[in-house]
Amino acid sequence: MLVKVEGIAVAFDGAPVLRNVNLSLREGEIYGLLGPNGAGKSTTTAVVAGLLAPAGGRVRVAGMDPVTAADRIHGLMGMLPERSGFYDWMTAEEYLRFFAKLHGRDLGAAALRERLERVGLAPRPRQWIGTFSHGMRQRLGLARALLNAPRLLILDEPTSGLDPRGRRDIHDILIDLSRNHGVGILMCTHLLDDVDRLCRRIGIINNGVTVAEGDLGDLLAAQDCLARFQLHLAGEPPDAGLPAHAHLVARDGERYVIDLDPAVTADATWRELLFMGWPVTEIRREGGGLEALYLNATEQRIQ
Amino acid sequence: MNAALVLARKEGGELLLGARGLAWLLAASGALSVFGLLLVSNSELSLLDNAQVVYDMAATITALGALLAVIVGSDAIAGERERGTLVPLLLTPLSRGGILAGKLGGQALTWAVIYVLALPYLWAVGSTGQNLAASMVALAVLGTPVVLGFGFFAMALSARLGMARSSLLSALICLMVSASPLLLGPGLRQSAIGKAFDTVNPFSAAVNAYDAIIIDSQTIGAQAASLIVVFIWFGLTLCFARRSFRGIVR
Repeated sequence: MLVKVEGIAVAFDGAPVLRNVNLSLREGEIYGLLGPNGAGKSTTTAVVAGLLAPAGGRVRVAGMDPVTAADRIHGLMGMLPERSGFYDWMTAEEYLRFFAKLHGRDLGAAALRERLERVGLAPRPRQWIGTFSHGMRQRLGLARALLNAPRLLILDEPTSGLDPRGRRDIHDILIDLSRNHGVGILMCTHLLDDVDRLCRRIGIINNGVTVAEGDLGDLLAAQDCLARFQLHLAGEPPDAGLPAHAHLVARDGERYVIDLDPAVTADATWRELLFMGWPVTEIRREGGGLEALYLNATEQRIQ
Repeated sequence: MNAALVLARKEGGELLLGARGLAWLLAASGALSVFGLLLVSNSELSLLDNAQVVYDMAATITALGALLAVIVGSDAIAGERERGTLVPLLLTPLSRGGILAGKLGGQALTWAVIYVLALPYLWAVGSTGQNLAASMVALAVLGTPVVLGFGFFAMALSARLGMARSSLLSALICLMVSASPLLLGPGLRQSAIGKAFDTVNPFSAAVNAYDAIIIDSQTIGAQAASLIVVFIWFGLTLCFARRSFRGIVR
């Protein structure tokens, strides 16, 4: 296990911020950490990164305590904090070279270019950071976090404020890092689409307490939050019935309500239904999915 | 390259390439020009002799250096935190001691820039170059620990208070209290309180030593008491900064 957090508690000036947070992250996995504003997501990442010592509970990163072995852990992790500042008077190249040197690496021109290319900043290596847009800063922050070829990457709202292409680019980088380089990624976000696309396992924090944690599919099934769709047909369905990953919930004439297994998309289901001979004229989302799971989990705690 | 040295170079770059650093240096040049002009006018009108204007200039340079050290030091940690640049620094393998060493390098560079910037002014107000060497030595030996001490003190406050504005205000108040002997009349300085204050105040120690070296032509070796005060100040503020930096969190 790359990261194991068990029942951590943190208080600021006597006010509890985290009371019982749990999560576990394996190598090569993207873990989505969700929760309302102020729930304690960023504080949790700070504890995992060894920037804050928890008042209670246990944290292990690569088997080490992030507080006592902070220097070693910082050598194997990268982080993009929510509010990441930059030295505006530096160029992107100078900025990366500066942090590489702090990590004990001297990047040559080719290595620098490769790092900038990876995040889509290659055309602007000598542009002052002060002139960068928010999206370009996010990309540069990601490049900085990847400078030391980390085993663990902690990202706090990595795609917030990015345009659709920027989001997609960041998604592709994260997928490549996790699948092809075995990097474990802990990602805090409010964007459920990001989690749907990237994460197999999630944790939901509310008021400093983990209210749901585990495999996304298991959580959706356990909470009765499978994605629900309404089908409209132009005739009788074929005798073969529904695909294995679709489950009939209700039928009213030519209107069917079905639940889809996690990780199955509506597009794929539509194509499969048409291929099987279903006369589908319309498929419409009715609810369920991660949004329902998130709302249920955070609502319960508020009540 | 040593990571602390890398950080010190960044601090230097911020001073020489960043807009804020350049603005402060320009302001310092402007202030030195105004003081220089006033002192030269006094000298031309025979109101002050050569040694006196050089002494006044040296004291002014020390005060200006300490002011800049306080401004740069107050920003050291609190400013980085407010701009969101502290966490990336804390996530490098650089220890808290390494960060302190890098920031100290930045402070030393700031003072070095002011020192070099001040040399032509010292030469100009002295008109003949007389007393220039004595004032340069006095500034280097006594001014450096005083100025850097104020920088360390401001850095320590910056690490502890966490807000650049609060640490700047607190450090400025301490600097103004310390520099008050420059404004006190001789009568007040001869009182018991004035004497006690002069004895422990690093700023007074440095200025009194300037007086002895530049005006009375005494040697630097004869200023043992002043040297002890300014180096105790230097050591204490360095220890304060080290202790404060150990507790830095995000």
